Amino acid sequence: MNEQTPEKKKSLWNCITASREVSLLLVLIVLCALIGIRSPEFLTISNIGEILKNNAVIMIMALGMLCVLLTGGIDISITSTLAFAGMTVGMLFKYKLIQSTGLGFLIAAAIGAMCGAIIGAAIAYGGVASIIAAMGGMYIFRGLAYLVANSQWAGADALGSFTNFALSSNLGFGVINNVIVITILCYVIFFIVLKWTKFGRSIYAIGSNRTAAAISGIHVARVEFLVYVIMGLLAGFCGALSVTIYSSAQPNMVLGKEMDVIAACVIGGVSMSGGSGTVGGALLGALILSVIAKALPLVGIDAIAQNTVKGVIILAVVILNVVTKRMMDRSNLERRKL
Amino acid sequence: MAGRSGRTISTDRKRYTKGFFSSWEFVLVILFVAINIFCKIISQNYTAANVLREMPKYLSEMFLLFPMAYILLLGDIDISVGATVCLSATVSCFASNAGFPIGAVVLIGLLTGLACGMLNGLILTVFTELPAMIVTLSTMIIYRGIAEIILGSGGSVSLNDVSGFSALAGMVGLFPYLFFLVLILGVVFTIVSAKTPFGRSLYAIGSNRSAAFYSGIKVQRVRFIVFSITGAMAGLCAVFLTSTLFGANTTTGNGFEMDAIAMAVFGGISAVGGKGRLAGGIISAFIIICLRIGLGEINMNPQVILIILGILLISAVLAPNISTKIKEKKQVLARK
Amino acid sequence: MTENVLELKGITKIFPGVKALDHVQFELRRGEVHALMGENGAGKSTFIKVITGVNHAEEGEMYLNGRKVNFRGPMDAQAAGIAAVYQHPTSYPDLTVTENIFMNHEIKKHGLLQWKAMNAEAQKYLDPLDADFRPTAEMGTLSVAQQQMVEIAKAISMNAKIMILDEPTAALTANESERLYRIIEKLKAEGVSIIFISHRFEDMYRIADRVTVFRDSQYIGTYQTNEISNDEMIKKMVGREIKDLFPKPETKIGGEVLRVECLSRTGYFTNVSFCVRAGEIVSFTGLVGAGRTETMEAVCGITHADSGKVLLNGRELRIKCPSDAMKAGIILLPEDRQRNGLILDWGIGHNVTLPILRKLSSRGIVDVSREREISRKYLEDVDTKAVSIFEPASSLSGGNQQKVVVAKALAQDNMKVIIMDEPTKGVDVGAKSEIYQIMGNLAGAGYAIVMISSEMPEILAMSDRIYTMCGGRVTGELNHEDATQEKILGLSMSKDGPQSDISKKEAVTGE
Repeated sequence: MNEQTPEKKKSLWNCITASREVSLLLVLIVLCALIGIRSPEFLTISNIGEILKNNAVIMIMALGMLCVLLTGGIDISITSTLAFAGMTVGMLFKYKLIQSTGLGFLIAAAIGAMCGAIIGAAIAYGGVASIIAAMGGMYIFRGLAYLVANSQWAGADALGSFTNFALSSNLGFGVINNVIVITILCYVIFFIVLKWTKFGRSIYAIGSNRTAAAISGIHVARVEFLVYVIMGLLAGFCGALSVTIYSSAQPNMVLGKEMDVIAACVIGGVSMSGGSGTVGGALLGALILSVIAKALPLVGIDAIAQNTVKGVIILAVVILNVVTKRMMDRSNLERRKL
Repeated sequence: MAGRSGRTISTDRKRYTKGFFSSWEFVLVILFVAINIFCKIISQNYTAANVLREMPKYLSEMFLLFPMAYILLLGDIDISVGATVCLSATVSCFASNAGFPIGAVVLIGLLTGLACGMLNGLILTVFTELPAMIVTLSTMIIYRGIAEIILGSGGSVSLNDVSGFSALAGMVGLFPYLFFLVLILGVVFTIVSAKTPFGRSLYAIGSNRSAAFYSGIKVQRVRFIVFSITGAMAGLCAVFLTSTLFGANTTTGNGFEMDAIAMAVFGGISAVGGKGRLAGGIISAFIIICLRIGLGEINMNPQVILIILGILLISAVLAPNISTKIKEKKQVLARK
Repeated sequence: MTENVLELKGITKIFPGVKALDHVQFELRRGEVHALMGENGAGKSTFIKVITGVNHAEEGEMYLNGRKVNFRGPMDAQAAGIAAVYQHPTSYPDLTVTENIFMNHEIKKHGLLQWKAMNAEAQKYLDPLDADFRPTAEMGTLSVAQQQMVEIAKAISMNAKIMILDEPTAALTANESERLYRIIEKLKAEGVSIIFISHRFEDMYRIADRVTVFRDSQYIGTYQTNEISNDEMIKKMVGREIKDLFPKPETKIGGEVLRVECLSRTGYFTNVSFCVRAGEIVSFTGLVGAGRTETMEAVCGITHADSGKVLLNGRELRIKCPSDAMKAGIILLPEDRQRNGLILDWGIGHNVTLPILRKLSSRGIVDVSREREISRKYLEDVDTKAVSIFEPASSLSGGNQQKVVVAKALAQDNMKVIIMDEPTKGVDVGAKSEIYQIMGNLAGAGYAIVMISSEMPEILAMSDRIYTMCGGRVTGELNHEDATQEKILGLSMSKDGPQSDISKKEAVTGE
């Protein structure tokens, strides 16, 4: 019969796919090195800090998307949630209804969590397909963002002290920018939750085998609901964050960027059918995406071609995954003794 | 064949089909009437003439509804159609500006869309393991990206000579050409899905892809054809869109994929495949169009329409789910 | 001292329209291996689900160590020390072995999971089982036997005092089965009570102390395994003389219809050759994973063979997809009817006509009245117990679903070869003989029939010729007259034996 010993299984392909993070890290390093050679200013600390700061929103939301994708769902309403929460906070500052930075973040996160809860309830308890619920949410929250804005927007002067948050580095002991500190903090928290807590592992369990998860006593619907709440919370939080980073609140902010978030996860090796993917992968996926975006003009590709290149890269990565998997299966089959 | 017990099997359909009056389509028809009455009440300007004048703006999106319904029936999804519209519109504008006659321009627009659709179909049928969501997500970025490259730094193009495209926007009495084209295509798509072997295979694949394959249906060929048609229809949509906008820019067709999916799902076509009828999708499209026109007449913020659309979309799926859940609960209680 | 750790009395479970269990009883002693036998549909799996708390019985009582218990869900049963290991492991393929073992009873400290401790602990559970993999291995990369081992380790880790093994040997090789037997003996020595479900008599005689038989949702009896003979067992399970079960009419065997030469597919089967004649029923048997289904799938274009020829009436066929095979006249009736054979939401009429819609349409439009007539005719021909052709396939019993699948094949009037993969799997005893009758009639009508089967009685009774497969090769060919259970078993387990030359010669020349 087709018995396989563990030694036989440790093929080269297995090694590569087993350490996806390592290969992604290699890609990232090679990418940075190549760009660094062409334009030395790329690898300066200030430039790297700038890249991280400008992509913090995508990176943080990639964490929530990771959880959503792990359960086998998808959420494309996140940028609408972001806009709604960000716009609300912007307007609150504009009309001097709040002044405290912390309160701004809190309100934004709360609004986001509420949006997530609506979608999550429809998906987890109402049996609505995640893409449909998320699409509905996308319309509703973007619409709400416009309503809140009421044909106005909040600029740097209106936001006042709130914009200082992204400029200062008091959370990072005066060395690291606040936004980057927050991003790192989010990654640390998610890394711990997803690896070392029961809740985190239930997310993986649901995506890996939903029925088995239910039988082993995991509250599938509750976990799924919470995952969307978390996604919403992060999106809302990022709403406030992007208001401070870009010093403006507009109802059409980060339109279409949900695709970048999903792309970051997919490049990072998160499976679209659930169950597999890591925080490290999501981080590296987001970093690679942002480095490429920054690097294209440096290597002479017109900024206008950026999206095309990004799309091609995502497509290439997913196709490469399939091809690798096929070759792996093939070589496993060939080793079977008949 | 021996072994028959003489048992007969009925071919009478009555017991197993819901009548029209308990179907989702009936609910939609009532909604359609209600929406029209509502719009008439809120706006004096909501007249047949005005509605028909406003309609072309929205009608071209219906070209996307038909193939999207097919794709959803297959259990797939295509979110690259909006980007395909953008690319086709861009290419046709440039072709028109380069002096091609309108017939050639239309053909070029169609072929551009077809090429996009075929690429989607090719990738999905060669790499069958990939979910349509992720593939069309990346091609969406690519197609819009290519349009951006063609459009250049300005990000938009306008027609030098609008005469050709204006001809497309012509009217027969009160009705625009577009209306008839949509009508004809709607009838064709509906008949194909409901009455032909090809249509039946759409439902078979969406209900149980594996069983359809074992039954001799060329699943991947059907998927390829449907994705290609979707591309071509996006091209058609782009051409007519251009005839009302007289140009294209990087945001042309933004969100069209969502609108098409929303119309289909609101029309009762399941997003997981195999269930629903195109007729429902068409009625729901007209509901949404009338709502948009009506609320537009009273200068309602278009964003409110977005919100209403979102709520309609979620509740269209949620309502039947909840009602079956309640029914099940009742049954359990009754047994106890 | 005998002591019942588990006792069930008068258990009745009703599903909408079906009585799945009818006042059955069962008792399990400490440290006993108790086999549960019965045909498919006898109620074994429902019974197990009642014990594990997945299903709730309408009537009856359950006593655990003499105390009455009432499980509201699987968690209650787990907490009470009852664990089940299923035939298809209910595992998480993306997670590690350790996680699979500790799912939902993780080792935690300050709310954080202790991976080091859990890995070490997992290793401790795996060691006595002679596991040849690490606890950090991903579950999806393990073989079925290894996954089963993980499930057993999981049961041990939950401190299970009662372990239910549902067809654990179905997917195992002889060696792997033997290893499982040894594990079971070890557990037994430690005082664990085991309920063992299997279709294989050899399992029962080898490992079980007692056996309880269910038939048609009812309790038949409990016997000492050393006091009951094989024939008696079969009679208890089937409920009547085997003779009525297999109505096989004499048929005239015609010329060769299908001939397969040296068909190979990397990793699945190699050098498979066989032939089938008109009016003949040819069985393929072997263990799960022997490559029988895979061979037939390649013949029918579901998958592709890497090399070899398929000839129909002496003409070589080029089959790229199932529709090519169907056009030529070969059809596969798949084993998993619910997944591959039927569209469950659809009416049975639409299921029957799905492959022939093109023939039923004029000018591209399906002729609905003709469609209804044709589907009715073929469904009645195979005597489907249904009220209307619009009845959804999901509402039919396993046997009647199989009949719908047969009707679907017959409706394509050009069929010459019908390949039936486990045609009576999931079919109740009563309906089984009807399926056999249909098979016999088809052969009588001149169809060439290939049957893939793992059930010894039906192989012995129904086939004109029997091919055995093992490890992707044809290991033998037997005529109806020469076939005995021992010979078939010997050939299908001849793991190191088969001598590809002999088998090739036998298969090609054997008539």
